[in-house]
Amino acid sequence: MDLLVLGIFGLIIIALAAYGYKISARTAEDFMLGGRTIGVVVMFFFVLFAVSSSWTFYGFPGMLYLEGPGYVFFVWGSVAGFAGLYMFLGPRLWALAKLNRFLSPVEALSERYQSKALRVILSVTILAFIIPYVGVQPLGVGRGFEALTGLPLWVGAVYTATLLVFLVLLGGMRIVAWVNIFLGTVYVTALLGSLIWIVAVLFPEGGLAEAAARVAATAPEKLSTPGPNETFTPVLVFGTFLVGLLAFSWPHITIGAMTARDKNLFKWFPLLIFILGGFFFYTIPFLWGSIVAPAIMPGVTDVAEADRIVQTIIQTYLPAWFGVFVLMGVIAAAISTAAVQLMMSSILVARDIVQGVFMPDATDEQITTIARWSVIGIVVASLAVTAAVELGLGQEAMALYLTDVSVPGFAQWGPALVGGLLWKRGTKQGAIAATVVGTLYLVLGLIITGPDGSRFLLFNLHPVIPTLPVNILVYIVVSLVTPRMDAQTEAIFFDEVEDFLLTETNT
Amino acid sequence: MREIMGHTPGKIYLFILLVSIVALAAAAFTGVMDTPEGAAPTLVLGWMTMPLVLGFAFVAVWLVAYLVYFFFFWPYR
Repeated sequence: MDLLVLGIFGLIIIALAAYGYKISARTAEDFMLGGRTIGVVVMFFFVLFAVSSSWTFYGFPGMLYLEGPGYVFFVWGSVAGFAGLYMFLGPRLWALAKLNRFLSPVEALSERYQSKALRVILSVTILAFIIPYVGVQPLGVGRGFEALTGLPLWVGAVYTATLLVFLVLLGGMRIVAWVNIFLGTVYVTALLGSLIWIVAVLFPEGGLAEAAARVAATAPEKLSTPGPNETFTPVLVFGTFLVGLLAFSWPHITIGAMTARDKNLFKWFPLLIFILGGFFFYTIPFLWGSIVAPAIMPGVTDVAEADRIVQTIIQTYLPAWFGVFVLMGVIAAAISTAAVQLMMSSILVARDIVQGVFMPDATDEQITTIARWSVIGIVVASLAVTAAVELGLGQEAMALYLTDVSVPGFAQWGPALVGGLLWKRGTKQGAIAATVVGTLYLVLGLIITGPDGSRFLLFNLHPVIPTLPVNILVYIVVSLVTPRMDAQTEAIFFDEVEDFLLTETNT
Repeated sequence: MREIMGHTPGKIYLFILLVSIVALAAAAFTGVMDTPEGAAPTLVLGWMTMPLVLGFAFVAVWLVAYLVYFFFFWPYR
């Protein structure tokens, strides 16, 4: 029965993708950016559920459960980071891309800096950090499958990967955005519904206050910083917040700004992010991980078990059929994120690497075909993450993968992105040197560890703390000592954009 | 961002956002979210822990500042 329901759920997604293929315009712009027609409501679901991966069901509550509420500062930083992207960078990136028909943010930057080398460097760097993160999503679903049905981890992972391939291959960016409304609704219903139901069943007298009182009586250190293991010191709390702020540089989020229908979107979008994202959505997994789970099931210390704590509670205390519905929610969360990441990755491969370097005269049809085929390749590569975990080679802590590897990796193109859009003095030499130095430092810092596992090259700090300032410093210094951009480039990338934004009428 | 830096309301807006971040850091470093020795953790309304309360306050400041600036002063509105 469980498998039948999950099969039907998968067929709905495939049907939506097929419909998307039927209505698509068959152009590269339509496939990659949804024809630049995404409005504010669709954009909200698109972006919120592009970032609300299975991490919000497993990694986030799991970390809160183990280390206390200090980890929530990653969310506060992220909310500000997402809003900041749409308030500060989005309008310029959107206008620039619309005026010059750019299809990826990397393409826009390579033209801004007049450098093909930068285009390749940024593409490869982003792909290197985004593909493993795509793989984390099937892994999360595989874990859910395993817990619910008893089937091996790889079954759920392959199920997710198959849906992803169909969705992205057929639908393109527009349908990925629209399907996120469906997927997001399923996920929120499952996450919020399970929370309300569990609290009603197990804490009928006082609700959340009763749950919090129970935790306060048995493990009060779980309700404040620095947490039960004294992990979240003030430095780490604020560092976690700063890492969250870098959400503007997540490439699959950045590209969302380029799909906007008009500039009016940038005026309204932050409202939804603050109210529905900041006050509502992220509070649900927070309450799950920091109050409800510790009150119901205290004493778990294993990281993988903590990652599964919400699902374990749901399966233990709620009817079996609801467990299937919740797993559908997790699948929805995983697919909504991975699909956007896959879109971004395929655009980088097709538009920035293949067309940008090897086939500059490729037609729209050729580029779209290459993008579609690259989706399959990227999914296969990302499944290596699942295989690594199955073989016992991988790190299972999902929360740490996102915040310790992917986010610092994404951050390395941040200075080139921000400088390219806002700072006229930024140069290609500065952008190349900063990206290369920052990325190399990060990779070496993560790989070379001491006998006790300490990351001494990173001074045992969060990877983004030492690497990003080095990146920024290199960008500024090298830019200042190299020739500034020519007048024509400045006119295209600054003057024309500003004039356009001032005069453009909303549609 | 360049358009925001280019006029006084924009500078005030950015200053408010910056102050909210500094305030958040100050709250973290002054131990507002910690439980004093021998005391019970602070729970607003019986269930809201201090990291949640501070985060809500932070988002509220950004929300109000954004509403005022983007709907009345943003050059591209």
